[in-house]
Amino acid sequence: MNKLNHYAHSGHCYPELVEKKDGKVIALMKAMLWKNDFYRIDQRFHKILKEPIKDGINILFCASISFDPMHGLSLRIIDIDPVFSLGELEREKQETIERLKREGIYDQNRKVAMAMLPQRIAVISVETSKGYSDYLKILEHNPWGYTFFNFLFPSLLQSERAIPSIINQLKRIKKVIHHFDAVAIIRGGGGDVGLSSFNNYELAREIALFPLPVITGIGHSTNETVVEMVSFKNAITPTELADYLIQMFHNFSVPVKKAEEFITERSLRILKDERLKFHNTMKYFKSVTQHQLSKNHNNIAGLTSALTQQAKFQLLQSDQNIDRNRQHILKFTPLVIQYRRQRTSEIVNRFLKQTADFIMAQQQSVQQVEKHVNFLNPENILKRGFSITLDQHGKAIKDSAKLNAGDTITTILASGKVVSKIEDVLNHRDDE
Amino acid sequence: MNENPTYTEAFEELQQIVTEIESGQITVDELSEKVKRATALIKICKLKLTTTEADINLILKDIETSGGKREETK
Repeated sequence: MNKLNHYAHSGHCYPELVEKKDGKVIALMKAMLWKNDFYRIDQRFHKILKEPIKDGINILFCASISFDPMHGLSLRIIDIDPVFSLGELEREKQETIERLKREGIYDQNRKVAMAMLPQRIAVISVETSKGYSDYLKILEHNPWGYTFFNFLFPSLLQSERAIPSIINQLKRIKKVIHHFDAVAIIRGGGGDVGLSSFNNYELAREIALFPLPVITGIGHSTNETVVEMVSFKNAITPTELADYLIQMFHNFSVPVKKAEEFITERSLRILKDERLKFHNTMKYFKSVTQHQLSKNHNNIAGLTSALTQQAKFQLLQSDQNIDRNRQHILKFTPLVIQYRRQRTSEIVNRFLKQTADFIMAQQQSVQQVEKHVNFLNPENILKRGFSITLDQHGKAIKDSAKLNAGDTITTILASGKVVSKIEDVLNHRDDE
Repeated sequence: MNENPTYTEAFEELQQIVTEIESGQITVDELSEKVKRATALIKICKLKLTTTEADINLILKDIETSGGKREETK
């Protein structure tokens, strides 16, 4: 059945039936499904498939064929077997799973790194849905004060039209992906109806390949859909999805709290240990210094007493030495004086004797000279008959040449003088 | 030191400080500095839990701008 063609006004349907082979339509026929029949069949579909009767599914049906000359051949569908369609849906789902696996993208979204704090959530939901409001309520009223940022990308989540609607919103999210940490698909309150779109290959593929982790809270009790299978995390219901996000916050916050406690406790302990160590060191230092001080004190006392004793001893010894020297001096000084006195008198005597000798010798030699001088005295010569003739000027005449006749001369004799007048002067040469 | 770390960075640095203290690598001299840093990191982490910097207007603007671009490149 390609198209159901349900007319809401009349309530009748005019399904378009096709048979395809390799993607090509090889047979096509219109059919009729009257209002009452459609209502009954749809009820049963809901009951068994959890899906309304919809376009694009294989159906097994019972129909009556009639011919009208005016309208030609017609096919009136009386009943459709929902169990057959159920198998068809299940087959579709398996095909989607296998195809995703075959393409290697089935686990792709689970490999995306989830932020440590998924805080900024791009929500794909219906604004007025109960699921979305439940989800918001839990996040907004969490007792730990965790703050989340939810940005709604409104989308249909039921019926076939949910597929392009969700895909379109995923594309919009991709454009602003740096604003978000995760995508949440939230449905709820719709019961278990219309879930087959979540088995759609295109939608499942978009989710599997989405670069952010996709978390689902689609809220139903039937088998897991393919979208949920490929998502990063299937929280099943919107409230559980909210709890999951809060749990992620816990996972972050609890270690932070533990770290805080640990650091506080350990820091205090380190400080306490250090203080104790310091205290002990101080104590030890004090005791060591005191010991050293008292040791030095004792040393000084010992040295002081030794110094005093030594000084006293030295003084005593010096005293004794001085005493000894004094006695020595007293004993030997008179001897030295006596000796010196003797030496001095000896020298004086010798000096006196030598002086007397010298004077006597001098006296003798003076006497001799005196004798000699006496011998030479003119008086003595005059006594022996010699005389001295003086010229007019009183000078002794030694040469007759200087005399002239008529000159007065004076002759000194040993006793008395004679004054004469020269009568003639005979030259010396003339005598010869 | 990164003064404006993301919560992941803050959290990792905090864990590192815990490990350092745990293994006894920290001397008393460093302790004060480390505890100060850890306190700041804890504050950052706690702040991240209870606040968000996301700006709705910016997101809306970005959706429009990149949408426009996409159309231009078509």
